[in-house]
Amino acid sequence: MNRRVVLWISIAVLCIYIGIALAAPLIAPSGPTAITGKPLEPPGAGHLFGTNDVGQDIFAQLVFGARITLLFGFFSASLSVLISTSVGIAIGYYGGIVDEVVSRAIDVFMPIPVFPLLIVLTTFFSPGIIQISILMGVLGSIHGIRIIRSQVLSVAQTYFVEGARAIGASDVHIMSRHILPNVMPLVMAKFVSSSQHLLVMGVGLSFIGIWDTTTVDWGTMIQNAYSSGGMALGLWWWILPPGIAVVGISLALAMIGYSFEEQFNPRVGVNRL
Amino acid sequence: MIHNGDFQRPAGPLLSVTGLRVRFPTRPEECVRAVDRVDLAIACGEHVALIGESGCGKTVLGLAVMGLLPVNAKTRGEIRFRDCDLRAMDEPALQRIRGKEIAMVMQNSANSLNPVMKVGRQIAEPLRVHNILPATEAQDEAVRLLAAMGFADPAQAAERYPHEFSGGMRERILVAIALSARPDLVIADEPTSGLDAVVKAQILRLIKDQMAERTLLLITHDLGTAGYLCNRLVVMYAGEIVEEGPTDELLAMPRHPYTQGLLASLPSSGFHPIPGMSPSAADLPAGCRFFPRCCCVKEQCRQNHPPLIPIGHNRKVRCHRYD
Repeated sequence: MNRRVVLWISIAVLCIYIGIALAAPLIAPSGPTAITGKPLEPPGAGHLFGTNDVGQDIFAQLVFGARITLLFGFFSASLSVLISTSVGIAIGYYGGIVDEVVSRAIDVFMPIPVFPLLIVLTTFFSPGIIQISILMGVLGSIHGIRIIRSQVLSVAQTYFVEGARAIGASDVHIMSRHILPNVMPLVMAKFVSSSQHLLVMGVGLSFIGIWDTTTVDWGTMIQNAYSSGGMALGLWWWILPPGIAVVGISLALAMIGYSFEEQFNPRVGVNRL
Repeated sequence: MIHNGDFQRPAGPLLSVTGLRVRFPTRPEECVRAVDRVDLAIACGEHVALIGESGCGKTVLGLAVMGLLPVNAKTRGEIRFRDCDLRAMDEPALQRIRGKEIAMVMQNSANSLNPVMKVGRQIAEPLRVHNILPATEAQDEAVRLLAAMGFADPAQAAERYPHEFSGGMRERILVAIALSARPDLVIADEPTSGLDAVVKAQILRLIKDQMAERTLLLITHDLGTAGYLCNRLVVMYAGEIVEEGPTDELLAMPRHPYTQGLLASLPSSGFHPIPGMSPSAADLPAGCRFFPRCCCVKEQCRQNHPPLIPIGHNRKVRCHRYD
């Protein structure tokens, strides 16, 4: 299929998800925790996706769960990109001993898998969603720092940065007005791929019950269904909706990320998008 | 400074470089002597060309004046601009001078513009950085400068990105950036490199017009460009000044064998290259730095490094033939 069509479909899917999350109280006025029916009702007229073991509407949970899941993904991705962009630009531009120390620290942290590290770290900290998303933002920024730093290194050597210094521009001015716009495409691509990555990781964390299990998000929905025997009893309407929702958003973000990368990475053909 | 008679302006030179040395350490116990004991004074309104082949230290000298040398450079000597000792200044103070008092037209026009910033904004940038004009007026000034640089539709050109312009147009944009904050001294580093003869002639005429009331330090390897734009020539070889004097006198009667060789190597005088290569700045000959390539070596040339000796009232040459 044409890449451009895939990109626009993905953007449309993303917009639908965001729209649903924003309009959740309008779409499902009863709320995610209200008991609106008998337990384990299959999909039908009153309940689009049926009910769970305590009679809560699965459709309402899905709609409200989108809020937490998306917010978590985008918040931690924003934080991660903010950190990696500012640190990457600063160490790439100034270089020297700070660059050396940060780069070696990154070399040490890079091979450590983030997911198990998160599980370990969350047992030390109080496992609120905010704390975990901050933690994930910080851990997720490590890879980005390295990518953005390497791009900054090549931009900082260019003649126009020298030219900016020759007109009396300060370091802050050069970094914000000259280097940042030149690494912005990379930052955008990194943001999209990070949000996909961190969103899925967030669902994974809530599925294994790392954070507050009373919040309603797609991970805890799957976890509830799984632990209450929904899987064994073949209650597909309980498991599938959150599962498909995760796959859908993840695919959409991945496709947008690939398209961005193709667009902005000179080594991948530009006209294919 | 030594004032010789009535010709000296009372304020003294605009820029004076005294005993400047720039070295780049390479290995322990070894360094590249890029600029060696250079004295240079430029009076207000003077147009001076620094001539020499690649690697003779002329660009390093320009960067040293701007305070833009790489951090590993070891600099000694004095650089005074008006009453300020540039070498003693800290970075924020230098930033207030760069672009506003001393501007530089960068070498390499193809890459010296930010690819993702509209050229109008880039020309207005010195005005914004130094807080000279508010944003909208700076933009108007950029359009006016583009018009002065010969752009047919300056308002539209200001809204374009660098890749939409040809090499000659980009060079003119670079000149506009350098001139936008109305600096007193402009250092132009090879402003016409890589341009064809017709475009080059246009740009040189433009620079000559724009520089009428400013001071220019031109850095070039091209005697033609230097002769056209400047009233005084300074010839550098292997990091030091070998000859200087007024343009017409120096071109009519070069004294140093290197300058003579440079003139003879011009296409118009028959393309006779100077034999040999210029020495590596890390491994300079003991005596005169030019002796391995010189046509008329004497015994003392191999042993003694010649001083820069004045000839007449306004010329200097570094050669034992004029001892």
